[in-house]
Amino acid sequence: MGWKCGESSASGPEDTLRFNISSEPPSLDWSLATDHSSIQVLQNIMEGLTRFDEDLNPRPALAERWEVQKNGSRYVFHLRKDARWTDGKPVTAHDFVYAWRRLQDPETAGEYAYHLYMVKNAKAVNSGEMDVSELGVEARGPHTLVVDLDRPVVFFPMITTFISTFPMRKDIVEKYGDNWTEPEHIETCGPFYLSEWWHEYRVVVKKNPGYFGHGPYLDRVIFYMVEENSTALSLYQTGDLDVVDPMPPPSIPSYENSPEYKNYPFFASYYYGFNVEKPPVDVPLVRAALSLSVDRSQIPRIIKGHQIPNSTVVPAGMKYANLKLGHSYDPEKGRKLLAKAGYPGGKGFPEITIGYNTQESHKMIAEFVQQEWKRNLGIDVRLRNMEWKVYLKKLQHDPPHVFRLGWILDYPDPDAIMNVFTSDSGNNHTRWKSKEYDRLVNKASIERDPKVRQKLYDRAQSLLCKESSAIVPLYTYTINMLVKPYVKDFPMNGQDLLYLRETKISGKEK
Amino acid sequence: MTRFLAGRIFAGLLVIFVVATLTFFIMHNVPGGPFDREKVFPPEIKANIEAKYHLDKPVYKQYQYYMADLLRGDLGPSFKYRNRRVRDILADTLPVSAQLGVLALIIAVMTGVSAGIVSAVFRDSVFDRLSIFGASLGIALPSFVLGAFLIWTFSYQLKFMPPALWESWRHMILPAITLGMAPASYLARLTRSSMLEVMDKDYVRTARAKGLSGAKVILKHVLRNSMGPVVTVVGPLVAMLITGSFIVEKIFSVPGMGRFFITAVTNRDYPLIMGVTLVYTTLIVFMNFVVDIVYTFLDPRVKLD
Repeated sequence: MGWKCGESSASGPEDTLRFNISSEPPSLDWSLATDHSSIQVLQNIMEGLTRFDEDLNPRPALAERWEVQKNGSRYVFHLRKDARWTDGKPVTAHDFVYAWRRLQDPETAGEYAYHLYMVKNAKAVNSGEMDVSELGVEARGPHTLVVDLDRPVVFFPMITTFISTFPMRKDIVEKYGDNWTEPEHIETCGPFYLSEWWHEYRVVVKKNPGYFGHGPYLDRVIFYMVEENSTALSLYQTGDLDVVDPMPPPSIPSYENSPEYKNYPFFASYYYGFNVEKPPVDVPLVRAALSLSVDRSQIPRIIKGHQIPNSTVVPAGMKYANLKLGHSYDPEKGRKLLAKAGYPGGKGFPEITIGYNTQESHKMIAEFVQQEWKRNLGIDVRLRNMEWKVYLKKLQHDPPHVFRLGWILDYPDPDAIMNVFTSDSGNNHTRWKSKEYDRLVNKASIERDPKVRQKLYDRAQSLLCKESSAIVPLYTYTINMLVKPYVKDFPMNGQDLLYLRETKISGKEK
Repeated sequence: MTRFLAGRIFAGLLVIFVVATLTFFIMHNVPGGPFDREKVFPPEIKANIEAKYHLDKPVYKQYQYYMADLLRGDLGPSFKYRNRRVRDILADTLPVSAQLGVLALIIAVMTGVSAGIVSAVFRDSVFDRLSIFGASLGIALPSFVLGAFLIWTFSYQLKFMPPALWESWRHMILPAITLGMAPASYLARLTRSSMLEVMDKDYVRTARAKGLSGAKVILKHVLRNSMGPVVTVVGPLVAMLITGSFIVEKIFSVPGMGRFFITAVTNRDYPLIMGVTLVYTTLIVFMNFVVDIVYTFLDPRVKLD
């Protein structure tokens, strides 16, 4: 095999967008896909019951409307009658029932099965204790989908934007087995259809003429899989790519004044967690002293990219974010607290370890924090980097005194990050447990009144980031990208969703 | 001849078996598993995944399953690319790496061997000194530096080569040069030293004394007899070049197999680690076999039996 000819070339026609998804999508089976690159493609070739609008509110997509019944624990979705699969067959409620049951089927072994764990019996089905037919989802006719939840969930319509909830064709999956996601077999119902998948190189999607909604305006999108950011930037500079996301951090300062440069918050938080079972950070006073002694405002200068310093976990720019809640930079107060904990001027304070996975930016931040704690508190910190999977293993079994992590929110609601630190969360590597925090977060997840929700989340954040100081939140991530001026209406949102339905190419020189 | 062939095939299979076994147990002992994620999923999901891929079984049992599948020619499913078989991944990517590797090999052999011959023949000349300098530079320069330099020069400054991608023959040139430069330099030095050694031999002096022309002496007596070490190196070099390079493929966004030597390990994609290891080992074994056969043509004293 040489190169595949005919489908596309580096210089496409005017209605082609060339975008870099950075890596091969590990799977385009939406019951199995979890990776960003897979999601970016699937968001354009498929539709769910709902889709986010520009303000990240869930809006009707395949469902034209829905009703909330039984005090929030039943959702009845009424499907559009004009939605068609790419082979012309109608999209029905049965396609959803099949997809949701398949997702929970233990044999599928889908990692994102937990996205629908709030559906009645989902966990029991997924663990093999119940048959898939017991799952709380039912088709009442071809266009009505009834979903019963274990408990009321106010953000459930957001969940139905996820790829793992998209409908699926039973006949296709069963006929082609593992190969059903290849372009010659797959049937989809989104604004584009899968035209070519050259593994490890590019995915090409084309305008779906049978799409029910308005758009898309592009005839074709080529998703390249250029792994090296600096190579992607080279291709952008030579006109072979129309968008670069993410930019290599060292290149950001030289583009900051360009109209092609875009920077905005990404709903993800970077934090340092404490293993609260490990002395001396088992003492809340010590943790508070450490948190007070990091000047977060320096971080954007160090790692570049205009990150937003944040001493709370709910990302800046998101609903219910309240950046005033955490510890602000106050080394004087930090020193006093450390003295109160028995370590005046850092004397007698045992050496602690900051663990991080091997990556340049994590190293730079760790060195900065190490310096800050030495300068402000007089304590010694050892840095220990580990390969990613080794690091994850370490976090699960024996987290160091301080460890770095980032958390990307699955959906634009504080619940997506606040539930990380609940007592029974497998992602809570701090080992900090608070019944009060659990109660607040659970209550907020079913609370419909936004004002009450705000209060509940504020209180929970204060508890986590200030009173208990179980973590040291550092910053909200940002997206740094370059977009050619002829690319119009390119999606830019805090969830980094790549809905290209509205995107146009206009004014490009041929 | 038959005995030789049978012996080599048996030895080759033994090497492949030992490498596969060692790799299997070493990779399973590296901390971290294929489905360890930043977002830890609930135990029910972990159990389903482990059951599906037999990861819930003891390692020796997994080894038995793997070897049984391997004997049937099945390299198993990829753990990372969950809809794909390792066989399909290698079938898609190995030909790309091979294409690039062959081009790099041609560059390496043509430039390296010719530079080495000219250097040896015109020993201590300006060309020789330049050649030695160039070869030292080629060996010392990491491929990511050379690749970046070539992109800067030929894509940015001169604007006649694409900086990356794999769309046409033009896209192959810069990665092939980058990949071929270090082996070319190595071959140049090797050819030169090997030629110089042979040129000092008595039979070469005799040939000269008998009045043979310089060109005839070089072509008939020196070149053939100095190619042994070069062939020894070229054998494994072929295996190395056609299975791809992680760095070159990454810099130039080439959809080859080389990336998997690193990413399969970082992803703990056990079947894919085994797949690339087996391909590489088999090629090395095969190329060493080819080298042995080539020896018999170069040196009549070498007999396969």
